[in-house]
Amino acid sequence: MPRYGSMADVRAFMPNPPEIQTFKIEPWKLKGAQIINLLAEVNGEKSDALLPKAMHPSIPSYAMFNVTVYPDSPVGKFGIGEVRVASRAGVRPRGFVLRSFVDNEAARRELANRWGYPIAPGDVYMRTFHDRVVARVSSQGRVVLELEMLDRDYIAGGDIQYLSSMHLARNKADGKLILAQIDPEWTFSRAERGRPRINTFDASAFGAGDNLVVENIISVSYTICDVTLGNIRYFCDPDRPAFQGTTQVAA
Amino acid sequence: MKFGIFYELSVPRPWDGESEKRVYDNALEQVALADELGFDSVWAVEHHFLEEYSHCSAPEIFLTACAMRTKKMRVGHGIVVCVPEFNHPIRVAERAAVLDIVSGGRLEFGTGRSATWVELGGFRANPDETKKTWDEFVRCIPKMWTQERFGYEGRAFSMPTRAVLPKPYQKPHPPMWVAVTSPGTEIDAAERGMGSLGLTFGSFKEQEDKISNYRRIIANCEPVGQFVNNQVSTVNFLFTHEDTETGNKHGRRLLGTFNFLASQLVAARETYPSKSYQSLGLLPTLRREAAGPGDDAGVPEGIAIGDPERVLRACKMWESVGVDRINFLLNANETVPQEMVLNSLRTFAKHVMPHFQDSGAQAAAAGGGGR
Repeated sequence: MPRYGSMADVRAFMPNPPEIQTFKIEPWKLKGAQIINLLAEVNGEKSDALLPKAMHPSIPSYAMFNVTVYPDSPVGKFGIGEVRVASRAGVRPRGFVLRSFVDNEAARRELANRWGYPIAPGDVYMRTFHDRVVARVSSQGRVVLELEMLDRDYIAGGDIQYLSSMHLARNKADGKLILAQIDPEWTFSRAERGRPRINTFDASAFGAGDNLVVENIISVSYTICDVTLGNIRYFCDPDRPAFQGTTQVAA
Repeated sequence: MKFGIFYELSVPRPWDGESEKRVYDNALEQVALADELGFDSVWAVEHHFLEEYSHCSAPEIFLTACAMRTKKMRVGHGIVVCVPEFNHPIRVAERAAVLDIVSGGRLEFGTGRSATWVELGGFRANPDETKKTWDEFVRCIPKMWTQERFGYEGRAFSMPTRAVLPKPYQKPHPPMWVAVTSPGTEIDAAERGMGSLGLTFGSFKEQEDKISNYRRIIANCEPVGQFVNNQVSTVNFLFTHEDTETGNKHGRRLLGTFNFLASQLVAARETYPSKSYQSLGLLPTLRREAAGPGDDAGVPEGIAIGDPERVLRACKMWESVGVDRINFLLNANETVPQEMVLNSLRTFAKHVMPHFQDSGAQAAAAGGGGR
C-alpha cells in the first residue's frame, strides 16, 4: 500500500487559493533567469502533512528552496522565492509549492491568474560574489529565507534536473480546487554547484508551520537559463490519487 | 541463451511481523523450483533503505540460503555496491569467497555503485567519487582472491600486506560483471573484461549497436581479473500463463507495481547535480521501458509477459541482438500470488525454454569461472 500525502484539509491549508482564469494563455519566454536551488532532506513524518492526498511523498522526503530572478518579462524585472515539497504525482516527480513571494505586483497578479502561483508580495535579493551566491527573501521587512552557495564550481547544464511544480489553485471555469501542473522548459547557458547553506528559514512564513524540519542538506546549484512558462497541460484533483484524478487540458 | 531469476525482494505495506519473512520464504520456494526447472542462475541485488521496493540489504546471506536449497543454479551476487561507505573491499572479497565456497563454486560476482540518493545519502557517500571507487574495487578484489597476500595504497582505501581469506573455490576466481545502466558503462565493462549486466535501455537496434560495440572493445581489453567474461545479460520481467488474458492481466499488474515502487525513490541525479550520474539509473530505466508503448495487449515490446508464444517472441528478439542471458524479475510487492508465480515458472520452462540451446542449468559460466 503506497504512502500518500496526509494533508488533512487542502481548503484549510490554503483558504484563499489563487484562481486560474483560463488555461489558454500566451507563454512567457523569460531570458537570462538566475536560479539558486537548494535541496534538503526533511522529516518525512511531519512533511507528509504538507502534501495533498493526491501526492505520494518521495523516498526520502526532501524540500526544494528556490529563488529566481527574472531580469526581464512582460511585466518587467521580478524576483520570486518559493519552497516546495518533493513528491510524486503517480510515478512523476513533482514539487508541491507551499508558498511563494514576489517583488513585483504586476508579476504577482499574472503568476497567480495564469499559473496559480500561491504568491504573496515580498522582497527578493540575489547577489553573486567571487566565492558565493547569496539569495534572500523577505516578507514585511523580515527575512524568511536566506540561502548561500559557497565555493562555486562549474558544472554542465545537463547535470541539472529541475522538477515541475504543482500549484494548489482554483479553476475559475468550475470553481473547483485543483493541483495545476506547471512544467517550465529550461535552456541553460551556465550551471554551477557549490557548498549549500541555509542561513534563515521561517517555515511558518511558507505555510509549513512546524511541519518542515530540515534534517540533511543535500545540494545547491546556481544556473543562468532561459525559461519558458507555457500552458498548463494537466491538473489533478487534490483529494484523489493522481492515477485516478488527473485531467488533461484540451490543447 | 541462459535464463536466470532476479530478486529485489519488495515487501508491501502495511508491514507486520511476518511480512518480510513471507517474502523471503516465497522467494526461496521459487528459487528451489527454478533450479529443478533448469533456470541457470539466481541473482539478488544489494539495496538499502528502499522502502517497499527492496528489502534485500544482505544479499550474500539470502544467496547462501539459495545455494543450500539448489544443486545447479549459479548464485549471482549482484550487484555488490563498490563504494567504501557501503562495503569495505576486503569484506566484499571475503564474503564473496565464502559464498563461492559454500555454493560449491557457483558464484557470479556483480559490481556497481548505487544510483539512488536514498542509499548514497544514507551512507553519506560522495556521488562524485563512486565511479572511481568502483574502478579501484574491481581492480583490487581479483588480486585479493588470487594473490596469497595483498597490499595496496590507493584513493578509496589502503591496506598493508595481508592474506585476504578465504580464497574463492572457483579458480582462478568467479566471473565478474558490471551493472550497466548509464550510457557508456558497457564500454567500462568491456575495457575491463567484465560481463555486462542489465543492459536494457533503448530500442532493439540501439541494443544491437551497444552489444556489438561491447564485443568489439572486449576483444582487446585489459581484464581486471584473470580471465575475460565476455557476456551480456539483460533484466526483464516474467509472467506467463497459457491463458493469454490471464498472462497479460497479471503481467501488466507486475509491471505497474514495479513501475510505481521504483518511481517513489529519489535517484541521485534528481537531487545531486553531478557528471557522475548522467542517467537516472536502473530503476527509472526499467520504469521507462515498463511504461513504454505497448502492443494490443498493452505490454511493451521486449517484455516477457503474456502467453508463452508472446514470451518466446520477446526472448528470441533479445537473443537476436546478441544477449547471452536474461534474468527475470518474477514479482513486485507480492502483487502476483505465489502459486501463480510458481506456475509461471513452470509454464516458461515447459513452453519457452526448450526453444533455446543451452538454456538449461550450466555448471560454470562461459567466460572461464569454474575449477
